[in-house]
Amino acid sequence: MNIAELRETWLGRQFDRAEFEVEAKEMLDWAEACGETDARFTDSTHPDFQAHPGFTAKYASRRTLPTDFPQLGDGRGVDGGKCVESLGPIRPGDVLGATSLIADIYEKTGRSGTMVFIVHRMRYENQRGEPVSVVDWRMIRNVG
Amino acid sequence: MVTKFEDVELGDDLPEESPDVSLVRVTKFAVAAHMLWGRFTDHEFARKEGFAGAIVPGIMSQGLLAAMIHRWAPGCRILKIDTVFRTPMLADSHPVCKGAVTDTDEANRTVEIDLTIVTDKGETSVVGTAVVQLA
Repeated sequence: MNIAELRETWLGRQFDRAEFEVEAKEMLDWAEACGETDARFTDSTHPDFQAHPGFTAKYASRRTLPTDFPQLGDGRGVDGGKCVESLGPIRPGDVLGATSLIADIYEKTGRSGTMVFIVHRMRYENQRGEPVSVVDWRMIRNVG
Repeated sequence: MVTKFEDVELGDDLPEESPDVSLVRVTKFAVAAHMLWGRFTDHEFARKEGFAGAIVPGIMSQGLLAAMIHRWAPGCRILKIDTVFRTPMLADSHPVCKGAVTDTDEANRTVEIDLTIVTDKGETSVVGTAVVQLA
């Protein structure tokens, strides 16, 4: 496995696009389950009612990786965490278009061996074409 | 409580919180997040998968930290929140959310906050950072 080759081949390649309709009830339930008390997120009648900052992290693209991406390790992954950037408010009824690409590939070596980190990035824009969120999901593959 | 950028000093600690991660609350989150998997909603099922019990979804732990930030600085805007899930956090446990201001940017009126969630066994389950814009 050559990380430089993987990066050269895969970084920045868009491999999926999906759409998601945002529902008020899910926005409310998400915020309340997280213990949110700010009315912007818990009161659907608030004039600035919007989705909680990490809300888009719940959406999954149809594919985790491109269909022809090489298998690393045993193919099973560990969730290494998520980074959510909020670029604009997400309102109920919005239809979000999301594109998926591989934003980064790097490796780290620790006590449990060598791990490859693959950063799956989803960029979201609303029905007016305004960017609203970017979610980076770090997937970890143990390659020995 | 913080109402504007000038209220914040580098090194300030956010008030610690003990969030509700009861199985009922986690299940509510799992429904909203379309993550209705046994490992999140059923202790027995999770044990069969090798966990000590049902676990809190990683993205819910991120939401717990965001809620803590909103209570610390009402009306603030979380521009970015980045969390790493280190060890599973169990549903029906008693974790503690913590935060500390590690950087300030006067020009953009933003602060950076280091975030952690510590389990009732003293393990750091989640670490992260947030960039928050204040009035």
